[in-house]
Parts: sequence; C-alpha cells; structure tokens
Amino acid sequence: MNWLKLVAGLSLAILVIPIFFLLYEGFGPLRDPIGYSYEVFRSIELTLISSAIAATVSVALFTPLAYYFARNKNSIGEALSDIPASIPHPIIGVAILVIASPLTPFGKFLLSIGINVFDSVLGLIVALTIVSAPIYINSMQPFFQSMNIAPENYALGLGASKFRTFISVVLPNSGRGILNASLISMSRAMSEFGSIAIIAYYVLQQPFYGVNPAPVLIFQYYTYYGLGPAVTASAVMILVSIVMMILLRLVKH
Amino acid sequence: MLDANVSDERFICLTGKNGSGKTTLLNLISGILTPDEGRITLNSRNITNLPIERRLVSIITPDSCIPHLDVDRHMVWGAKNKGLKVEHDYVTEIKTGLGIYFDGKVRKLSLGMRERVAIATSLISKPELILVDETLSNIDNRRDFIVAFKNFTMKANIDVIFTTQSPEDSSEADHHYQLESGKSTRLF
Repeated sequence: MNWLKLVAGLSLAILVIPIFFLLYEGFGPLRDPIGYSYEVFRSIELTLISSAIAATVSVALFTPLAYYFARNKNSIGEALSDIPASIPHPIIGVAILVIASPLTPFGKFLLSIGINVFDSVLGLIVALTIVSAPIYINSMQPFFQSMNIAPENYALGLGASKFRTFISVVLPNSGRGILNASLISMSRAMSEFGSIAIIAYYVLQQPFYGVNPAPVLIFQYYTYYGLGPAVTASAVMILVSIVMMILLRLVKH
Repeated sequence: MLDANVSDERFICLTGKNGSGKTTLLNLISGILTPDEGRITLNSRNITNLPIERRLVSIITPDSCIPHLDVDRHMVWGAKNKGLKVEHDYVTEIKTGLGIYFDGKVRKLSLGMRERVAIATSLISKPELILVDETLSNIDNRRDFIVAFKNFTMKANIDVIFTTQSPEDSSEADHHYQLESGKSTRLF
C-alpha cells in the first residue's frame, strides 16, 4: 500500500465527510421545506452574483498588485495585503461601516453623491472583495512567479514599457491563472459571514429588497427555527456551489 | 565575480564553457542584472543605470517571443512600440532573408522557427545592440542564417553579441571573445 496515497485519502476524507454528511442530513432525516423555500434560492442568487462581481473586481484591481509582488521582493507589502484575510472578519465590516458613515469626510462625500454601503448590494460587494482579494493575490502571485520571464525581458528589450509589457505580454498569457485564482476567490467570497453580517445583514435595494446573503440566512434560520431548516438550506447552498464550480471548471477546460 | 571587457563593434562572438559567465554578461548588458561595480557603455552612452526598455538593447534567448501573437504581428511588434514606421518591403526582405516562410501563432512554432521570428522582430525594431544568448544552435542551416543575420545587422548599423557553445560559429564573427571563470580574453 502506498503510504502517501493512504494519508492523502484520509486527509481528503477529513475535508469532505462533514460536507457529505450535511448533504445527507439536509436532504434526508433533517429535511425541512423552509430550507428550500423561494427565500433560500433568492439569497443564494444574491450570494452567487455578489461573489462573482467581487471576484471580477479582484481581477481588475489586484492582478497588477499580485504581479508586482511576484516580480519585486516586498515583504511588508505582502504582509499588509494579507491583513484583511488574517483579522476577524467582523472587523472588516465595522471598518467599512465607519469609513463610509457620516462620521468621516469620505463617508459624508459618499452619502452626498448618493452612495450608501449599509444594507446595500454595493456594501456587500465591497466587503466580499476586501475579504477575498488576499486569497486572489496569494493565488496569482505564485502563478506569475512560475511564468517564464524571458518573454517579458524580450518585450522590454524591444522598447515596450513595463505597463505595455504587463498588458500585452503578461496578461494574454495569464488567462488560466486568472480564472483559477478568481474561482478560488469567488468560493471564499461565497462562504463569507463575519463582515457581511454587519455591513449587509439584508439588502434594502431592488432587485434584492429584503434578501439576506445565504450565509446570513442560514445563521438566521438556525437561530429562529433550529437545526432542520438551517441544515437543509446549507445542503442546498452546498449543492448549488458544487454544481456551479463544476460548470465553471468545465467552461475553463 | 565577472570581470569582462568587450570593446568592439559589429558581429561579436562570445564563447565559453557552461558557468563561465556568458549569460551573466549579456544579462548585465541588457539590464536584466545590475552590476555591483563597473560601467556599461554603448556607443558612448553610459547605460549602466538605465532600465531595460530604454537601453536600445534587445536580448534574445531560446524562450524570447510574444507567444500569443501570429508571425506577422510579432515581427512588427517591437518597431510599433518604438513608434517606428515599418516598410512592408523591409519586413518581406527580412522574412525571405531569414527563412521565415511560415505563419501562425508563435507559441505553436518549433523552437528554431520561434527563434528566427524573435531575431527578425529585434532587427525590425532597430536597437543599437542585439544580444543573442545560446539561440543560434537551434536553427536549421545555421551557417546560412548567421550570414544573412549578419548582413541585415550591418545594413541597419546594429551591433551583435552572440554566445555559442560551438566555436565554429565564430567563423562569421568580426571579433571573438572567450570567457573563462568570469574573465574575458579577446581571441581576434
């Protein structure tokens, strides 16, 4: 028996058994109709859309940062970029709330132009982006580090600026890495609870007026109705997530 | 420790065993590496502290290419970066002279074909110096290619330093330097 295969199998089992157990209980002994109500599917829809937008924002804003870290040693910058992932996430929610509140000049300015992050889709996306961006950066950095640097040096030698080299040489050859990292980042965003429980416990904006993000709704079901509806809603959420991830990976291939 | 002095023009061959410092020297000249001390002068310009993109030095290694471009767009990519006007006839002349009778995405070409395109692209972008690191050995009909490459560089007034493991490649060079343990010796 290959010992490594055995250890790998056991490690994988530790990760997936609780998930399969939850699926079994949610659709079996603990099944409760509240757990697959219209409300649940609306909250999953909100979570999927906001997480996908957060992942897209991460790609747009943080790909250059990941590339910079890959090509330039910057321990302090790397440590700073990890902070949102390494502190309790309710702190992120509180921070966003304070920064965007009338207590700060920036918050006053945002409100004066009609931008409100509290209980809004925008606030939800901002929180999800901040907590999932470090995961995106940490996935893209090794991808860029593993990329052959010869084409970049060649392009620079042909007179291309560093910006042009990034846009015209690095990015067109990074599609697979960006897709992988954004999927990981999106998965992280979908599972977020701490920060969004503060900034967007529910959304008071159309087309999601009164809808909770899925992790918040599951928590709410647990506290209001007990285990059954929470477990069923969790099983539905897991199933949708698994199907979506499989579809995205099929698209990737 | 690398202590090399290459003070010549035109088509210069650099030979030496693995680890003798050939690639390090080219990386220093191109700006990929920064010297601890010393000075790099190109046509009376001190380029020691210039970034790669402002040196007018093009470096070609076996992996040098813009993989997603097709051959024709690749060949004029460098010149367009520099805002140079590219004559169609000149591109055709270079393609014919360097044996580029193929098309398609550069990433799908064989190594030798890719290297022909990379060298042609550098020529058309008109740098002051082209550095070719261990690249010529992968090209078919190497002797003919080197002769054609040299003719184009002479016409465009571009200097070349190329490294090779094959001493016979130096027969087409105007000068031949040998590197050994980081020290350069001028053979001719």
